[in-house]
Amino acid sequence: MNERATSVDETMSPGAAKGSQTMGVAAAIAGWIVPGLGHLILRRWSKAAIYFLCVGALACAGLAMRGGVFASGAEDLFDRLGFFADLGAGVFYFLAHQFQAAGPDVAHATGDYGTRLFAAAGMLNLLTVLEAYEIGRGGEPK
Amino acid sequence: MNTAFSSLTHFVALLFFAVVVSITFAFLSKKGTIERLKYSLWAFLAFLLVAVGIGWLMYPFSQ
Repeated sequence: MNERATSVDETMSPGAAKGSQTMGVAAAIAGWIVPGLGHLILRRWSKAAIYFLCVGALACAGLAMRGGVFASGAEDLFDRLGFFADLGAGVFYFLAHQFQAAGPDVAHATGDYGTRLFAAAGMLNLLTVLEAYEIGRGGEPK
Repeated sequence: MNTAFSSLTHFVALLFFAVVVSITFAFLSKKGTIERLKYSLWAFLAFLLVAVGIGWLMYPFSQ
């Protein structure tokens, strides 16, 4: 108990709202759209900053390496899985075409690494979304 | 930005991935700065070790 009081919520203000299902869903949706926003709403300042920076860094690196971004409606199962992974990056997925003016180049190895980095950003953000949901509904994750 | 990233080797991309994911995992699973630092370092080294290990295991098949 003491450990929790001293270490966890150095980032949470004393007036943080009590958890509820609605709060959990709102935090999850916000965290999916903008990585870290769900934690920001829940007043977990340092987690919000770290998640935004880490997911953003992976996604931007993936796009800068001219990685491919999967589109919806793919025929192939792996492409569909790739789409769901990419979609997890939220705003970075929706703005991918603006960031990547030259388009993807997966013919080269670097572009292929970029595709994986962007998918990893999406998957990582989905993990943070689950945590935001859990915190929002009142269950502090382990 | 594009030119800096377009020349990344596989190993540098792996290092970048390992650093970022290790930090995120530490914040997801640990509480407290020291715990998070220790976990980040452990996860980073584990990513590195496993990647190099798998690389060595696959090496004979590349010949």
